[in-house]
Amino acid sequence: MLAELINPYHFQVASFILINIILGISVYITLSTGQLSLANAGFMGIGAYTSALLTIHFDLPIVLGIIAGALVAALLGILIGIPTLRLQGVYLAIVTLGFGEVIRVVFINWESLTKGSVGISGIPHIGREILSTLKGFGFDPKVLGLQNNQFIFLSIFLLLFIITIGVIWFFRRQHRSRVGRAFAAIKLDEKAAESMGINITYYKVLAFAQGALLSGFAGALYAHVLAYISPADFAYHRAVEILIFVVFGGSEVIWGPIFGAFFLTLMPEVLRFISEYRYMIYGLIIIILMAVRPQGLIDVNLLNWVKTKGKKRGQKHGTGNTKSM
Amino acid sequence: MKMKKLFQFSVLSSMLILSACSGGGEQAAGEKEGKGGSGGAVKVDIGVVSYISGPGAAYGEAITGGLKLAQKEINAKGEVDINLVIEDSAGKQDQALTAAQKLINSENVTAIIGPTLSTEMNVVGPEADLSGVPIMGTSTTADGIPQIGDYVFRNSIPEALAIPASMKKAVEKYDAKKVAILYGNDDVFTKSGFDTMKKAAEDMGLEVLTIETFQKGQSDYNAQLTKIKGLNPDMILCSALYNEGAVIMDQARKMGIDVPFVGGNGFNSPEVIKIAGDAADGLIVATPWYGEKDDPKVKEFVSNFEKEYGKKPDQFAAQAYDALYIMAEALKNAGEADRDALRDALAEVKDFNGILGNFSFDEEGDVVMDPTVLVIEDGAFKIFE
Repeated sequence: MLAELINPYHFQVASFILINIILGISVYITLSTGQLSLANAGFMGIGAYTSALLTIHFDLPIVLGIIAGALVAALLGILIGIPTLRLQGVYLAIVTLGFGEVIRVVFINWESLTKGSVGISGIPHIGREILSTLKGFGFDPKVLGLQNNQFIFLSIFLLLFIITIGVIWFFRRQHRSRVGRAFAAIKLDEKAAESMGINITYYKVLAFAQGALLSGFAGALYAHVLAYISPADFAYHRAVEILIFVVFGGSEVIWGPIFGAFFLTLMPEVLRFISEYRYMIYGLIIIILMAVRPQGLIDVNLLNWVKTKGKKRGQKHGTGNTKSM
Repeated sequence: MKMKKLFQFSVLSSMLILSACSGGGEQAAGEKEGKGGSGGAVKVDIGVVSYISGPGAAYGEAITGGLKLAQKEINAKGEVDINLVIEDSAGKQDQALTAAQKLINSENVTAIIGPTLSTEMNVVGPEADLSGVPIMGTSTTADGIPQIGDYVFRNSIPEALAIPASMKKAVEKYDAKKVAILYGNDDVFTKSGFDTMKKAAEDMGLEVLTIETFQKGQSDYNAQLTKIKGLNPDMILCSALYNEGAVIMDQARKMGIDVPFVGGNGFNSPEVIKIAGDAADGLIVATPWYGEKDDPKVKEFVSNFEKEYGKKPDQFAAQAYDALYIMAEALKNAGEADRDALRDALAEVKDFNGILGNFSFDEEGDVVMDPTVLVIEDGAFKIFE
């Protein structure tokens, strides 16, 4: 029964959706202080390369590799963040875009370490490692009636699912905390926020570093799910792709990037039946949406509307205040 | 209370994902691979992962064109009944992987042809190998592809075979001893081509005077070429894609460098002659495909391809065309559409006579074949003797 439900293809797509959701949130976090960063693809690359190289050359467990990747990306985020956050709006976007390209060029030219544009293959695969570890304890997926590869993708999916839920939970909590209020204040009016006693530099760098941490984290996961990375994966196309998740879904609430990543990753897969035309439809949907809803699909009003609708039907959704998103 | 809502949302979203999943899954479980009836044709589904949309869509078009032509001819013969299931990879590794997963698990294909790029194959290859699905690259020329696993094959001549072949012939003819190397360092093709050139030059005992690099999209190569000219090499080894390579040759000839150039696979395109004109004379490349070859099979393929698509086939179309014939040959020998039987039959393919020439797999699934070495003379590719 379980075996028939589990198709590695669907779990593969679901895994990419979850990784993209984390990437979407990373842009959303920096955007929630009103800073537009295009460096996330670069941070993602740092996380991916750090984790891949550490696990290959030093036989580090994947978990430690991923954490190290995220931390290195965050550290770099702080280093880059402090000087560049004096810039605003489009200037910051340009600098961060440039930074992302610098990272990519470093990956290409540091051949002794990164194998240049050929890329790194043979990165330990999360699912396969989980399986071999469990087999070491005498566990066999056949107990559950599953094939090896079904089990591999099920375990990756469940792991990523728990991680993603954790990430969403954390940032929703943060949003309603002092930090979240400070972010919102800075986004609305930096001068006013400063005069209210909010340490702008601290919170802006914090948001930037959080974004970098999350991108690096997602990048490390990406490396261990794909088992192969090359510098071309982290070019500016990727930065724009991640930004589109947020712009499409809406940047006001956390559900925006989540929905954006979910929808825009699933779309090309669902549209596979029209093969070469699918990216035309994909583009068309984005154009239509931007014309009709420039603020993104999901915003505060939509969420409030959904909530009041729910209440009218007499369902109890809890009493949380509606502005909490 | 918020937590509860969050929980509800997560349950809902996971159910959405699952329901989206189960739809195709049931179909897949219901289908079984077609087995050849007594005496009838072997019915088989072959998956294709190709670069159909995006900047490299021309590759995918040529490849699927070649495959479809071969499919029509093979099915008409009636020994094997091939159904092609074509999926797009958009040139991205993650897309290539999901496409391959779909073919392996939802469509239950017996074998896969593709993907187009070596980078994609690095991701798809191990997965297909673990799932036990034979996979054959028709355009993946980088090092180490068939070494991924027992189920991974290719019929495209690797750079490691093509470049030394052309270098050897050129060195013999021009009695070259000193060479200069010029390569693009930010592209997978040109970088791996350079690695091969350097190794081949060392193996042949050539003196490498200098190694110069350039980047994609560069338009002025005078700095590198001036240095090379001063060193006065007998030959220039240039690992470039045709658009940069043609400009390099043009500027070199204008500067008075008239030694022959030896290029890699990416340099091998009629576009070089279009862009560089007379300056392209003296470019030596090794290629698996030569459309002017005096062979009835080749002539028939070229005329059929032109009739079907209104243009001349390139090496990608030709390689894909031959790949499907090799698959069909192996299927005929296997006698059934079974993944393992097909793999064993593929590994045994020997002396297959296709439009590319005499073809065999070695024990790793790599190509054993003599590439044709071509030279540009008077604005046309000719066989280099």
